[in-house]
Amino acid sequence: MSAVTTEPLAHYRAEFEAAHGRESAGTAQRAAAFERFAALGFPGPREEAWKYTSLRKLEARRFPSRLAGRDMPALPPALAARRLVVIDGRLQPGRDGGNLPRGLRLRSLAEAQADGESLAALLRVTQGGGTERFAALNAALCPDALLLDVAEEASPEPLEILLCTSAEQPGMSHPRLVIRAARGSSARILLRHSGDDAERWVNSVVDVEVGPEATLHFYRLLDSGARGFHIERVEATVAQRGTFLAHDAQLGAGLARMDLFVRLAAPQAAAELTGLFLADGTRHLDSHVRVDHMAVDTRSLQDYRGIAAGRGRAVFNGKAVVHEGAQQSQARQSSRNLLLTPGAEIDTKPELEIYADDVQCSHGATTGQLDAAALFYLRSRGLSETEARSALTRAFAGSVLSRMDHAEFAVMVRASLDARLERLLEAQP
Amino acid sequence: MLKIRDLHAQIGARKILKGIDLEVGTGQVHAIMGPNGSGKSTLASVLAGRDGYEVTQGTVEYLGRDLLELEPEERARAGVFLAFQYPVEIPGVNNAYLLKAALNAVRKQRGESEVDAFEFLALVREKMKLMQMDESFLGRGVNEGFSGGEKKRNEILQMAVLEPRLALLDETDSGLDIDALRVVANGVNSLRSADRAIVMVTHYQRLLDYIEPDFVHVLSDGRILKSGDSSLALELEKRGYDWVRQEALVA
Repeated sequence: MSAVTTEPLAHYRAEFEAAHGRESAGTAQRAAAFERFAALGFPGPREEAWKYTSLRKLEARRFPSRLAGRDMPALPPALAARRLVVIDGRLQPGRDGGNLPRGLRLRSLAEAQADGESLAALLRVTQGGGTERFAALNAALCPDALLLDVAEEASPEPLEILLCTSAEQPGMSHPRLVIRAARGSSARILLRHSGDDAERWVNSVVDVEVGPEATLHFYRLLDSGARGFHIERVEATVAQRGTFLAHDAQLGAGLARMDLFVRLAAPQAAAELTGLFLADGTRHLDSHVRVDHMAVDTRSLQDYRGIAAGRGRAVFNGKAVVHEGAQQSQARQSSRNLLLTPGAEIDTKPELEIYADDVQCSHGATTGQLDAAALFYLRSRGLSETEARSALTRAFAGSVLSRMDHAEFAVMVRASLDARLERLLEAQP
Repeated sequence: MLKIRDLHAQIGARKILKGIDLEVGTGQVHAIMGPNGSGKSTLASVLAGRDGYEVTQGTVEYLGRDLLELEPEERARAGVFLAFQYPVEIPGVNNAYLLKAALNAVRKQRGESEVDAFEFLALVREKMKLMQMDESFLGRGVNEGFSGGEKKRNEILQMAVLEPRLALLDETDSGLDIDALRVVANGVNSLRSADRAIVMVTHYQRLLDYIEPDFVHVLSDGRILKSGDSSLALELEKRGYDWVRQEALVA
C-alpha cells in the first residue's frame, strides 16, 4: 500500500480506536466493518464506479469526528409538522418532544439491542457498488443508528428527519438510519441534509425495508454548503406488492455522491425513483441509481433531470437489472439534462441488463441546452432574457417536481431552485 | 411609425432581403404578399429581432428609434408584436404566467402600474371571449397540445391583451379552417385603431377577404416589386405572381 493511502487510513483507524476501541456492544461488527473499509480504501482513478468523480480532495482531508450538541446550528424551517433533529449522527434529546406521529416507533441502537434486535442487521454492510467502502466506514464510526419502524397497517403523518452538523466547525459525521415499513403500512419520510459553509464530510447510510403491501415515500433534500463533501448510500428492499417511491432533490454540497440501490425482491414489488439535481458554481454531483428486479411482475421507473451551470458538473448513472426468472417485469429509465452554460458538464449513462425474455424495458437519455425558439418566443413577448431562461429552466425541472406529492417539500425545493437560478442567471453576461 | 430603408438581410451566406423600402403610417393596415421563399417571413423575423439573421445594409426606424439596435424584449416592450407563423409549444410554462409577465413588461415600459390578479383575470376573460377560447387554456402550458387553429387564436389573444402599437402577423391564416379564420380576423379587426399599425404577411388573398388592407405590396426575391391598394390583392388572386415579376423585369 502506498504512503498516500496509508496515511488517511491511519487517521480513520485512530478515529475508530478513539470511538469504539474499548470492548462494547457491537465492537466485533464495527471492527469487521472497519477492516472492510481498510481493505477497500479510497477509490482510485480507474475504478468504473468513480469514473467521473475524484475523491482525491476528500482523501487528503483529516476530518475529526464531531461530538454532538456543542454548537447548535441554525435550523431551517420545518418541512412537516413532525420533525426529528439529528446533529452529527445523534438524535437531539428533547428535539422529538414526543413529537413522533402515531404509527411510528423510533429507537436508538442501544434501545433496539435491549429489545433483542440484531445488531448485526442494524450495522450490516452490503456488498457492491462504489460506496461499499463508505458504508463500511459508517458502520464502524456511526455514533448511533436510528431505527424507525412503521407499524403494520399504519398510515402515520409525514415525518421530517433533519440531519445537520455542529455549526461552523470542520469535521465528519456518519449518520445512520434504518427504516422498516411493516406490512400494509403507508408512510412519508422526509430526509433533509442541511448545513452551513464550513468544510466537512457527511457520510450517510439509509437502510430501508418495505414490507408486503406497504408503501413508503422517501423524500431526500440535500442542500448543505458548497464546501461540503457528502456521500450517501440508500438501499431499499421491497417485498411482495410493496412500493418504494424516492424523490430526490440534490441542490447542495460541493461534492456529492448518492448511491440509491433498490431490490425488488418479490412479485409485484414496485419502485418509482425520481430526482432532480442542480450543479452550479463548482459543484460536482454524482448519482448512481440501480434497481434489481429479482422476481416476476416487478416494476420500476427512474426519471431523473439534471441541470448544470458555471463550472458545475453532474454525473448520472442509472441501471436496471432484470434477473433471470423476473418475467413480465417492466423497467423504464429516463435521464434528461440541461446545460445552462458552455463550461458545465453532465455525464449520463442509463444502462439495462436483462436476463429474462418476457419483459418490457426502455431507456433514454438526452443532454441539451435551452430551446432557442422557445427563448425567442418568450423574449418577443417582453420577458427579459434572464426571465425567459429562468422560466424555461423551471419548466424543465417542473415535471419532476410535479411528482412530489408532499406540498411543503415541493414548495421548498422549488423555492431553493428559484433562488439559485436567479443568482446564477443574473450573474451571466 | 415604421420606416424601412434599403433593408438587406441574410442567413449565413444566403441573401434573402435585397433592398426593402417600406413605410407604414399610424392607423394603417399593410399586406405583404408574395410566393414562397420571397422573404416575407424573414422580414417579419428581422423586425421582431430573431437570432440568426444578419442585417448587412439599410435601416429600420420605429417611432423615431433605431429598431435594429433593440433586443427582442425591448422591441416588445416598445409595442412591437409578432404573431408567429409557427407558435412555439412550451410545456411547463403556463399561459397565464406568460400573459401576465408580458402584460406587466409592456405596462412597466409605458409607466403604468402592474396589474393585480383580479384586473388581469377580468381583462383576459374579456379577450378570451372575443377569441372564443375556453378559460381552461390559461392553466395549460404555452401552446402545449394546441391544434393549429388554437395556436393562432392564442397569438391573437396575446396581441389583444398586450395592445401593441405595431402588430406583425406572419402567415396568421395558414392552417386555419374557415370558422377559425373568421374568429382570428375578427380579433385582428377589433384591434384596428387610429394609433396602431398592422402589417400582415400572407401567401393567399383569403385573409384579406376578412381584414381589408389599406395597402398591398408584392414581395419577390427579397424586393418589393409592386405596391397598390386592396384591389391589387384581388388581381394577384386571379393572375398569380408571375405577371408582377414580368412587369418588374420589363421595367
